[in-house]
Amino acid sequence: MISVRRLVLHALAAALFVSGCATANTFVVLLPEEGGAASAVAVGSDSRRAVLDKPYNTAAVDTRGGIETKTITAEEANRTFAEALAAQPPPPLSFTLYFETNSLEVTPSSRSVLGALLAEVGKRQAVEVQVTGHTDRVGSEADNDRLSLQRAEAVRAMLIQRGINSNFLRAVGRGEREPLIPTPDEQAEPRNRRVEVIVR
Amino acid sequence: MKFVSQSVLAVIFAVLTFDSVSGAAEIGQIKNITGQVFLLRNNQQQPVKPGDIVEEADVISTGTNGSFGMTLIDNTRISAGPNSRIELKQFRFNPTTQEGESLTQLHRGTLAIVSGQIAKRSPDAMKVQTPTTILGVRGTRFAVKVEE
Repeated sequence: MISVRRLVLHALAAALFVSGCATANTFVVLLPEEGGAASAVAVGSDSRRAVLDKPYNTAAVDTRGGIETKTITAEEANRTFAEALAAQPPPPLSFTLYFETNSLEVTPSSRSVLGALLAEVGKRQAVEVQVTGHTDRVGSEADNDRLSLQRAEAVRAMLIQRGINSNFLRAVGRGEREPLIPTPDEQAEPRNRRVEVIVR
Repeated sequence: MKFVSQSVLAVIFAVLTFDSVSGAAEIGQIKNITGQVFLLRNNQQQPVKPGDIVEEADVISTGTNGSFGMTLIDNTRISAGPNSRIELKQFRFNPTTQEGESLTQLHRGTLAIVSGQIAKRSPDAMKVQTPTTILGVRGTRFAVKVEE
């Protein structure tokens, strides 16, 4: 009798173990957007697919691809992913500096942007900076290629002066190819005489 | 004198070659770590530190107290908690057109992601794979956990 009962218990334990294996193997949660824009993640493929499109929507996918959706609280999400969320790097930021005509001098109004850029670069761990110079369409393409690179390198030099590792500073010139404001050739356009900087 | 200029040239050549090789493969950079974090590349495992470059096909794993954060060149941000294993299976990004494709595999552990330009340009161009499913990322913040 006892051995039969034991057998039943074993069978029960085995059944529990099997169903335990089949429970959620992947758990996905959609988190609220930093900027508040629309956001969504599709889970699964073809016939078995769920789309998470509201903050804290979740999907649990078992080993056979079965999907169960629900919504959890912010606290629950933050608890489950505490360490991963704490390790999120800060968002990449971009800065635009404008320059005087045919010059490597930033305009007076861009000086505060330059200050903010240098402060941001100083704050970040393992910072990378990508500097891209541009010109307006006054002058030849070759001259503008040169000027745009010189503008980018002027910004790069300022960053190196601040102690940023030059291995993680990239400066390129795009000449007049990528105007912010499209213009006919030879037209002066202050908004195109710029250096775009991405801090990552 | 001749010897000096030759070695200078050799150094310049080496720097240029190294730069073009590493430049072609770099897809991101480690920004922060806590505890033990390892990078597996070409069958060699090494500890990771902030500032290290990541490449396509790299596998990054964390120990029981480990976590790390990295930023990819399309501005995607990926971070992982303890006992995690992440493989950067595929990554292609054109900085000029801002288009690309990526596939990241989470073998185990926890992952938090803020998607970047690849997902912004074309929905589902960024995918995250786990042992049981695949995610098509339309944007932007989400987290994934794989239990063993």
